Amino acid sequence: MANFNTHFTVAATASALVSGTLLSMEVVTPEQGVVAFFIGTLGGLLPDVDSAHSKSIKVGFNVLSLLLTIMMIFVKSSTYSIVEMFIMAALVFSLIRYVLLEVFRKISKHRGMFHSIPVALIWGVGVAILMQFFFGLNSLVSWVYGFMTTFGYLVHLTLDEIYSVDLGNRRVKKSLGTALKFYKLKTNTDKIQTAIIYAALVGLFIMAPDTDLIVNALFSQEAWLNFKDVFLPYDGKWFFH
Amino acid sequence: MHKTLKFMAVMTATALFSGCVPAPKPQTGSILGRPVGGQASSGEYGLRPSNYVSSIQTYFSSKLPRAKDAIYKFSQPKRAYKKKGLAYGGGVEWKGWLVETSIATRNRSGRLLTPRPYMVLFSGNQIVEDILGNSHKLLVKVDK
Repeated sequence: MANFNTHFTVAATASALVSGTLLSMEVVTPEQGVVAFFIGTLGGLLPDVDSAHSKSIKVGFNVLSLLLTIMMIFVKSSTYSIVEMFIMAALVFSLIRYVLLEVFRKISKHRGMFHSIPVALIWGVGVAILMQFFFGLNSLVSWVYGFMTTFGYLVHLTLDEIYSVDLGNRRVKKSLGTALKFYKLKTNTDKIQTAIIYAALVGLFIMAPDTDLIVNALFSQEAWLNFKDVFLPYDGKWFFH
Repeated sequence: MHKTLKFMAVMTATALFSGCVPAPKPQTGSILGRPVGGQASSGEYGLRPSNYVSSIQTYFSSKLPRAKDAIYKFSQPKRAYKKKGLAYGGGVEWKGWLVETSIATRNRSGRLLTPRPYMVLFSGNQIVEDILGNSHKLLVKVDK
């Protein structure tokens, strides 16, 4: 299993490559590209949030609590007084950073279903929904941010699998196959968890923004042609356009 | 400790849910006693934009890359309203006329791309916003 620093570095590098490519293909604007980079990097830290004593869980919950606190202030700033906002911010922050974190530590199991492909998809679709409903972003940008979350998440899972192979001693560790998985059906709890995750995924897809634009921008014949157009200098002149 | 946590949870949930009251729908109205689109009279939506074709072309000429060679297609203006994102309170943000526009531009190598749909929102003859795509979860088209 890779450590926090490795996950952070690899997720940031991979996210920079992808967001740079999206920018070059004119799928996103420069500002959206920067946000996509940060979201991809955070996505790369998300899977270890289920590890009770990892750095990821602390970083993840710090970011989440601050983010939601700021959002709440944003929502209520026009109606609440400063004192009301201060009390509400303190409550929201404490609830997420301390109460929710403790509950999460108790119920989550490292390398359970949190390390799986359907959960990576749930995060992506969830982010896309949040971006449209909460911030009113258009379908393309909402899905780009969702895509970057899932991408970062999958980078993390892939890295975990790579670290399961010990090339020096030519052996595979017990953890092989526990990260990049579609389901876990060992116990009854595993079966219920897997069923809930797939049901949630279907439910989220029903609520999700329109997918036409993201499919055309990233997963179509035209997207491939567009990528080829920007991969090398189209006019053959290197650095002197 | 347990009591404190319980108290904090209740207080935060109350604060959170008080911010999640659904946005009010625009009032139902009529023109000369005839209900319009089941939502509101066109009076509430302001004047129908008259010169929308040139307004949209001028608007996008500075927004899109290589807009000079862009190919435009326009629908007739239709009444619509848009709610604010939940982060901004969720109320009605805009009510007016929407023109569905499709714009095909060229990429940097000169290849013509598949047209992209935009919804251009008007208040009278003034463009207030453009939204990429044919639909948006916060936008309701009154006229189909």
